Amino acid sequence: MKTYDVIVVGAGNGGLVAATSTAKEGFRTLLLEKHNLPGGCATSFVRGRFEFEAALHELCNRATSPKQESIDKIFKRLGVDVPLVYETALFRAIVKGENGYDVVMRPGYDGFLDSIEAAVPGCRDKVKAFIDLIGVLDGAQDYIDEKGINPLALYNQYGDFMRIAAHSTKDVMEAFGIPEKAQSILGTYWGYLGPPIDDLNALHYISLLAAFANTPPAMPYHRSHELSLALVKALQGYGGEIQYNSEVTQFLYDEKGAAIGVIANGDAYYAKKIISNIIPHNVFNRSDEKVIPTAAKKLANARKFGMTFVTLYLGLDCSMEDLGINDYSVFISSDPDSRVQFNQRNNFGMYVVNCLNKALPDSSPEGTCTLFFTIPYMPGDFPENLAPQDYKKFKNEIAEKYIRDYEQTMGVCVMDHIEEIVIATPVTFARYLGTPEGAIYGYASETWDNVVSRSALKDLENKIPNLFFCGGHAARGDGYPSAYITGAMTANDVIKELRRGK
Amino acid sequence: MDKKRNVEQFSRADFVKILTNRLKAVAGGKNAPVSDLYSHTPNKLAAALHPAVQHLKVKEIIEHNPDMKSFLFAPDTAAGTKSLAWFSAGQYIVIALPVNGKLISRPYSIASSPRDTLNGTLRITVKRVDGGIASGYMLDNWTVGTTVIASAPLGDFTYEPLRDAKTVIGIAGGSGITPFRAFAKAITEGDEDFSLILLYGSRTMADAVFSDEITEMAKTCPKIKLVNVLSEEKVKGCENGFITAKLIRKYAPKDEAYSIFLCGPQAMYDFADKEIETLGIRRKFVRHELFGEYFHPERNADYSGDITKTYRLTVRIAGNERTIDCPADTSLLRAMEAAGINAPSDCRSGRCGWCHSQLISGEVYVPQSVDGRRIADKIYGYVHPCCTFPLSDVTLDVPPIPYG
Repeated sequence: MKTYDVIVVGAGNGGLVAATSTAKEGFRTLLLEKHNLPGGCATSFVRGRFEFEAALHELCNRATSPKQESIDKIFKRLGVDVPLVYETALFRAIVKGENGYDVVMRPGYDGFLDSIEAAVPGCRDKVKAFIDLIGVLDGAQDYIDEKGINPLALYNQYGDFMRIAAHSTKDVMEAFGIPEKAQSILGTYWGYLGPPIDDLNALHYISLLAAFANTPPAMPYHRSHELSLALVKALQGYGGEIQYNSEVTQFLYDEKGAAIGVIANGDAYYAKKIISNIIPHNVFNRSDEKVIPTAAKKLANARKFGMTFVTLYLGLDCSMEDLGINDYSVFISSDPDSRVQFNQRNNFGMYVVNCLNKALPDSSPEGTCTLFFTIPYMPGDFPENLAPQDYKKFKNEIAEKYIRDYEQTMGVCVMDHIEEIVIATPVTFARYLGTPEGAIYGYASETWDNVVSRSALKDLENKIPNLFFCGGHAARGDGYPSAYITGAMTANDVIKELRRGK
Repeated sequence: MDKKRNVEQFSRADFVKILTNRLKAVAGGKNAPVSDLYSHTPNKLAAALHPAVQHLKVKEIIEHNPDMKSFLFAPDTAAGTKSLAWFSAGQYIVIALPVNGKLISRPYSIASSPRDTLNGTLRITVKRVDGGIASGYMLDNWTVGTTVIASAPLGDFTYEPLRDAKTVIGIAGGSGITPFRAFAKAITEGDEDFSLILLYGSRTMADAVFSDEITEMAKTCPKIKLVNVLSEEKVKGCENGFITAKLIRKYAPKDEAYSIFLCGPQAMYDFADKEIETLGIRRKFVRHELFGEYFHPERNADYSGDITKTYRLTVRIAGNERTIDCPADTSLLRAMEAAGINAPSDCRSGRCGWCHSQLISGEVYVPQSVDGRRIADKIYGYVHPCCTFPLSDVTLDVPPIPYG
């Protein structure tokens, strides 16, 4: 019988940090991964002479307050050292149509405010007040992380937190009198979290925006695979084990319904605590239904799956300079209103194109560059009865449509230079991530299920004794930092219970 | 700032909505098992396109000559494969073979068309290779009814409409014809849309398997043209000699770009690549099928080892550890196979990454031309054992082949 203190299921970002954290504290830790590589989304792949980043647009790296968790801090604590390159621009946003615009936003607190002022004269102070809310929010968040939700204390000490926590990003921008165009520019990142700004929790969005405004976004030099391998190295350095090609097909429970182990490759592994980096839906489907508490089932069934994407990876036989590409990250939209962008997401509503060579000139061979298109998809967008024989055509039609639109918008010629092309769809993500609908963002961060409400009622999610969750579907929502942070937070909870002998 | 125009307009009591909304939404959730994974369209389609394994059964054997046979498979429904996975013409499957009590695996291009899968047919064509244990095993042992375990379709030797030219010059040598049979048939069936001009190199007409069949396809499909290039025989209507730049120019479109797809033995690549270089066509228009097993690392200028040595290879796999011999001229994968260690492998050419393993200790040599690793793999010490050769004693951590 193989027994451990902790078994972590899934070596995505959350699982890697969780396993490394428990191993570091001396607990016998086994990390089981269904693929032959670590990382989940945080990976890369090789085609011809190109190595493509699979998922990462940029790391939102720094904390906005000294107490806040961040990738920096987590990596430092775990002894993970991955050099990062910082971008010189936040993003370029091109909105087509009548009320369109073409704006480049600079990073750094002042750079950010200066560029929004240049784009929308007279809005600087209002935007400043909006971004500065991060101070209030951080204070409250730190308080909650330390002492939990105490409505009365929060009411007195963190009034503004209480005021805006239940409101949308748009509501709060309106409250500050931020002009529509500035709202649109500030809202550019909505796709990083999922819902358009009229539905996107203000607190959640401000924390993302403030982090990006305060510290330039960063990329690892050698794609996300480097981040994942660095974490594996740390895990192994602390005596933890990682086992690949080992999909957990069953979760095991004792007669009281407490998690006690898992089955992978037909072998049983037992542990005092199980941390799942895989989405609760998949855990429940691999568990005896009787042990799943009613509240957990109702929560899971009430939720919607989060965003997924169609992504295009192009290796071009021409440098970005020769093509006339100047930006790392371009957001292209058909309308300034993020609700319209969201609704038209399959028809040029909003998509992002990244040219990694801008941030990392050596990321592809000399005289070449890569482009990475990200086109939002929501569950249900994928044609329901698409037959396998029609899939290739379907993929190529989407790719052609978007490449043509990009060429037209940017006035560049891409199609003729395609040396390598990979088109990923929700089917690809369903294959590699195994999530329902190929969801990348876990559960949708909709009004009632945003990160604030998840944190406020955390116990709803963790009803099964000895079973914990971390990752993009967990309390902090999607994104690399969120997944890493929930990995660290969950490991802390587990370590506390183990130390108490619970 | 105007009081009404900032957060003061919201009430602190609004916070309660966070809790009540969530509790209300959860209360409205169904108290029922969560949805089955495969009730979701993308998951269903992913499973259909990329099954973990395909259980196959030989349903027909066609003998082309004493050393070459086509095996036609049906899905082995009794073993759990209800239908065959759709694929892109040009892809391959990996066949697992129990030879002398050891499991070995080999990739084979699919010779049938994607549409044939809908009729329950998948075809590979196997040629006897000198000393080849896999080809010998299949040719000598397989009969109608033999059951076989194969992978899902794999590989990127496929036609990509946004990348490749409208015309493809196919250069095939020997059994390298098989993926081109799939391309040609897929064109006639409307699943691929490009013009294929196939330059097919054989020693004699008798060796040119599928030549008649593809010529037949070309009669009714103007997008297909076959040119037999015979090195040891002069036949009317065929070219004589090798596939040279001059020959490619003769058949290639004159005033538009074309792609070149190559599939054949290493000797053919060595010859054809030099010829193609003189054509001055862009790199993106030249695509090779897998190079296949790598031999003779010592022939590379950057090889620094002693090829006559034999090293100790310690393999950690699925919680077990074994130490075996690995001669310097043998890939880590082949050494493991020879010792009966069941290690993952698919393309055997350094490209697919399925054999990705962690180098715990030791020095190794990876020929540059087949080093398909990610950059971070090189930094953190991971290798593809299928094209990695020992320069010292080596310890390797290998993932198990997944169960099922």
